[in-house]
Amino acid sequence: MAEEVYEKKVLDRISDALIDGLVSIIDKVKPGWRVKNRGRIEEWKLMLYALNRSPVGLLGTSLVVLFIILAIAGPFIAPVSYDTQIIFCDRDARLAPPRTTVQIPDNPFCRKLGLKPGNFTMLLGGDDYGRDLWSRVLYGARTSLVVAIIVMAVGPWIGVLLGLVAGYYGGKIDELLMRITDVFLVFPGLILAIAFSAVLPYRIQDVLSVHPLLADVMRVLFAIKPENEPQLASLLSVIVALWLVWWPFYARLVRGMVLSAKENTYVEAAKALGVPSWKIMFKHILPNIAGPIIVFYTMDFGGVILTEAGLSFLGLGAVPPLADWGRIIYDGSRYFPDAWWLVFFPGLFIFLTVLGFNLLGDALRDVLDPRMRRSIEFKIKKRVVVEEVSSGS
Amino acid sequence: MAGVVTEHVQGADKGYDEAVREAWRFLPGEKPLVVLYRLKKYFPVKGLIRVKGWVRAVDNVTLLIPEGKTLGLVGESGSGKTTIGRLVLRLIEPTSGSVFFMGRNIFKLRGRDLRWFRRNAQMVFQDPYGSLNPRMTVYDIINEALRTHKIDVGDPKEYIIKLLYEVGLNETHLYRYPHEFSGGQRQRIAIARVLALQPKFIVLDEPTSALDVSVQAQILNMLKDLQRRYNLTYLFISHDLGVVRYMSDYIAVMYVGKIVEIGPAEEVFEKPFHPYTKMLLASIPVPDPEYVKKKPPIRVVGEPPSPVNPPPGCRFHPRCPYASEKCKREEPSLVEVEHGHWVACWHPLN
Repeated sequence: MAEEVYEKKVLDRISDALIDGLVSIIDKVKPGWRVKNRGRIEEWKLMLYALNRSPVGLLGTSLVVLFIILAIAGPFIAPVSYDTQIIFCDRDARLAPPRTTVQIPDNPFCRKLGLKPGNFTMLLGGDDYGRDLWSRVLYGARTSLVVAIIVMAVGPWIGVLLGLVAGYYGGKIDELLMRITDVFLVFPGLILAIAFSAVLPYRIQDVLSVHPLLADVMRVLFAIKPENEPQLASLLSVIVALWLVWWPFYARLVRGMVLSAKENTYVEAAKALGVPSWKIMFKHILPNIAGPIIVFYTMDFGGVILTEAGLSFLGLGAVPPLADWGRIIYDGSRYFPDAWWLVFFPGLFIFLTVLGFNLLGDALRDVLDPRMRRSIEFKIKKRVVVEEVSSGS
Repeated sequence: MAGVVTEHVQGADKGYDEAVREAWRFLPGEKPLVVLYRLKKYFPVKGLIRVKGWVRAVDNVTLLIPEGKTLGLVGESGSGKTTIGRLVLRLIEPTSGSVFFMGRNIFKLRGRDLRWFRRNAQMVFQDPYGSLNPRMTVYDIINEALRTHKIDVGDPKEYIIKLLYEVGLNETHLYRYPHEFSGGQRQRIAIARVLALQPKFIVLDEPTSALDVSVQAQILNMLKDLQRRYNLTYLFISHDLGVVRYMSDYIAVMYVGKIVEIGPAEEVFEKPFHPYTKMLLASIPVPDPEYVKKKPPIRVVGEPPSPVNPPPGCRFHPRCPYASEKCKREEPSLVEVEHGHWVACWHPLN
């Protein structure tokens, strides 16, 4: 019996605590929320139990959480800044192999660079400017995360919106929107993104100079020094370029799902009630097709990070001295294979991050399946019943 | 006559007089709430490039639904009864013809008038497993109806609990999701959602066909009880003749998009004039082994023809044991064979 019977594990108790904490916060803001959403809270817990029982999901979650922690804390825990050229204080820092220890002399210049006198270990080695690779990789994580979040916060939703409208209304609107989508789909996304990100920086520079507050916010988000603010424009142009190419796939996906979901009787019931179309789309159709969208959305975070790295590898996006995984690989490729660490470590980080998002997405596919939740609920309850019976006898 | 017809309706739309005059022949003496007038719905059959033909789901139907009564609509699957249900609620647009609700042509209504119509004419669907959004709690499902029509009921929670009691549920069900209920309970929720709007007219589209027999009876009794208390008008669509007989005051029998017989429920059941009606009645299973030996007079033969290409003349003639040459050539129209009992047949029985 042991193999098919589940009980609450340590992770499940942690999940319970997490959800309960979240619920009590929401309940404080909206009194009575807990009672009204009893069923939903139960579902959330079951989802986490399902995730806890999937090794792939746990690996994916750990990688993603690790990446997010690195990206948020990275600029604070990095030994030196992304553009500190240690070479000025010790010539050995140039193309130093991993775990090289350099001597920092005690002089005002090195202090100004932010280097403490004495031994300094370059954990992952140094690049051709003698910059610390570990610090640059940490800053690069921040760049990747911020780009991914901003791209994913807009791009896919354009697609979701267009897909909803096309699928729900059908007819000529559907035809028009889908032909526009086709135009974008037949053009390789990366090529289109290259074209956009080559053209956009000038326009974005104008926008940034008109809105200094926007520039400041972006600078803080990307953890860039004030003197590097001019380099922001090309970074932002990649974001805008990815917005423009990231929606067509979602439009297709959502349209297809809406076409089948709108045949549900509850959609017709809502129409008969006189519920307005936009409400039917967002309250009745969208929540019921959310599962596959969430799975894809999660995997796509990896996709955006990969594409962004690809673009900066091609020289678009992050401009020196900004730290970016793709850019670090590009700059280091000249010294490959002698200075292999310049290509290997950023590549490893890209690999693990993208892998993490893909595994998480894959696990979510099971977690979001209601049948999976029912079976776990059944197994947990069965265990409880068995325990009660055995303790009674 | 025209004055008499529209007496109770103020501001009736154009064509109402004419429609009522024609529809009233079938149910004289009843007060019309909904009138269907020469209603047609053809669905296109799409070929590779162009439309290949039309499914004549509803073909020239004129019908009157009397206020406070139940009109039963029966027929085999594909006879167009559900299409009529969807047309009279304007869930689909007709090919031609009109439907009048309290004198207003529902296909011409817009904005506020359309919302008025939606509030007063509602539907209970066949499939209680599909008609409730699985992501909404019972409270949300019913509250959505109230909010859509901005109905002021004071405290919505109290009002919804009252409704739940009305349909045999209680406040412990308030925040549950549809998957936590049985089919019968879900149908009760669907009925509560409809009642929340206090409508005048409800289309019941096979509301019990997905339920167990014991649950069916409960739901039917509840619907009858609600009708008596709130003076509701029902259009009861079903292929289950026993259920229709129990529920209906009048019965209209449909065959491939057309009405072939219409009259008071008991008369249609006791003395059917159309061979098709007789065949339908003969197909009711009777829980009596002796009955089988007696053999029903007409056995069910064949299948309904394709509505894309209905046979010429009377559409029933290929299956009809009494068909003559005339039936193959000329299409019969509804004729009054007894008082208030109409049939479209060249050779009516009895």
